[in-house]
Amino acid sequence: MKIETRPAGTATILVLSGEVDLRHSPNLRKALMELMLEKRAVAVDLSGVEYIDSSGIAGLVEAYQMARKNGTRFVLAAISDPVRRVLQLARLDRVFTIADTVETALEG
Amino acid sequence: MPSPLPETDSASHLDLIVEMTGDFAHSHDVEATLRLGLERIAERVGAEAASLFLTDEETGELVCRANMGPVDVIGLRLPPGTGIVGRTVDLGVPQLVKDTRRDPDFAGAVDAATGFETRSILCAPMAVRGRRLGAIELFNKKGGTSFSLTDSRLLQALAASSALALINAMLVADMAEQQGLKRELELASEIQRAMLPGPQPDQSPIHGINLPARGVSGDFFEILPLSGGRLAFAVGDVSGKGMNASLLMTKTASLFRCLAKREDGPGRILAAIDSELHETRLAGMFVTMAAGVLDPASGKVVLANAGHEPPLLFRDGVFTPIEGDMPPLGIAPELFEGGCPETEIELDGGTLYLFTDGLTEARVAGGDMLGPEGARRMIRDAAALPAGERLEAVVRSLDDTGSLRDDVTLMVIEDRRPAGFERRYPARPEELAAIRAAVGRTVRALGCGETMAGDMVLAVDEACQNIIRHAYKGEAGDIVLRLDRENDRLVIRLMDFAPAVDVAKIQPRPLDELRPGGLGTHLMRSIMDHVDFLAPPAGIGNLLQMVKRIDPT
Repeated sequence: MKIETRPAGTATILVLSGEVDLRHSPNLRKALMELMLEKRAVAVDLSGVEYIDSSGIAGLVEAYQMARKNGTRFVLAAISDPVRRVLQLARLDRVFTIADTVETALEG
Repeated sequence: MPSPLPETDSASHLDLIVEMTGDFAHSHDVEATLRLGLERIAERVGAEAASLFLTDEETGELVCRANMGPVDVIGLRLPPGTGIVGRTVDLGVPQLVKDTRRDPDFAGAVDAATGFETRSILCAPMAVRGRRLGAIELFNKKGGTSFSLTDSRLLQALAASSALALINAMLVADMAEQQGLKRELELASEIQRAMLPGPQPDQSPIHGINLPARGVSGDFFEILPLSGGRLAFAVGDVSGKGMNASLLMTKTASLFRCLAKREDGPGRILAAIDSELHETRLAGMFVTMAAGVLDPASGKVVLANAGHEPPLLFRDGVFTPIEGDMPPLGIAPELFEGGCPETEIELDGGTLYLFTDGLTEARVAGGDMLGPEGARRMIRDAAALPAGERLEAVVRSLDDTGSLRDDVTLMVIEDRRPAGFERRYPARPEELAAIRAAVGRTVRALGCGETMAGDMVLAVDEACQNIIRHAYKGEAGDIVLRLDRENDRLVIRLMDFAPAVDVAKIQPRPLDELRPGGLGTHLMRSIMDHVDFLAPPAGIGNLLQMVKRIDPT
């Protein structure tokens, strides 16, 4: 698993890639929580995620809940097939805001 | 009592015999050697002309094969018993005719035709052990006198040694012809072997081997890929031995290769071969043959048998013969009109053996036949070897007994579907990547399609996380993962050695309750058809079983 962040105007883009499993998901959760404390809009680029399990999804769910509490924007963007499959199985595909690309994620 | 030859003459006559024998021994051209020998004899005895006649074994005629003198009569054929030469051959003793005008047997026809004037004749038979080969005939002693008794004895000796040399030369020619035939047989055998399938790759589910007892074989086997990964196979045995059997074998094998791709199923293939064989009138020859089609993906074999040794299914240490009641091919066309009945066999981890009677009828030490029991024992003894080597081991042990009387052909058809996977992993997050890789690999090999394989990886990962977090609670321990295909279902079993968990605590969360925890169990339940904690066997803490119908797409 690899995490990179980069600013995009007032927002932050978090690029997640590789395999997100129990071994790595604590790092993802930590990175997401730090971003949430900044109370800025966040787009998570998931195009490079080859595998994600429930612990990785749990980190995204927690971030989503904090963003809602803060009233900030939290968008999943360019989700890869493995991510889409897990979101579908968990019936979370209609809970998250999902954008086709990172560019469109922070519009509107 | 004939007077002995003068000493000096006797020695030089001996030289001549030695020389002629040497000529015969070294020359491959019998005609040329005969001519040279005849010239030497004529010169030594002092004759104006000489002819060498050999008996035509078919007609009994005497044929002039060598000639010396003013008139060429090579190729002249005399009916049996004709002339002085005929009398010599019939009586088997030399004939000395000092004045031909006084011998009623003298045939003047040649003289009349050629203008040669025959005054005297000396003729000696060429015979070996009662076999009348012909005679050497000398005409007109040089110097105007007649042939003497001494000449007669000399010619008798020379003719006898020529006869011996001729017999030897004929034997050598026979041998050369037999060598030629043998080479042809070897060539035919080589061609035939080249037609049989070569060694199959190790991973092939079908392997075959053929050991011809003599030059050419009446046995054959075939392994052919069909559409959809299926394999057609056949083992056959042509009645009789030698060249005829091997030609019929070649025809039958070719028919199988053509028809296997066209006909649907081994029953139709055998019926079509039967029909073709009748078209070509076999004069009492027939073919026993077992043919089938294997679907390696399902382990299913469809088998048809025309008068062949029943194939043996070997499973869980037990042999089961697959009997058939159809006659061999080429005998009763009316019985094959409705096709040849087929038997469906689920290999189910078992192995099918096809063979010819050369295996069961092979002689073992002591002279007894190996028999069906002996054949089974041999197969069982070699069972641990990989298929290709197993066949070689069985055939080699037959050959070792040194009394192979018939061709031996042996084929093995195995269920090569991956066996269940079982492995023990430490219950740590760092192991999950390796577990996922193993699951992905195994379930694909067991027939799961890509989507299902991805889901199975996720389900196992989630189950392992539960064990790590809820069963061992961070303590060290092991997870045993087992994956099996049971008919059309994938069965996943996860065992741990932790205290039994309270199943209620890891029930999935209600879906409308949006919170991070409990998601793993929910994923497992949405993916699998069944997720159940089973009563664990002794020594096992928890046994989780997950089942999913296999989707190959």
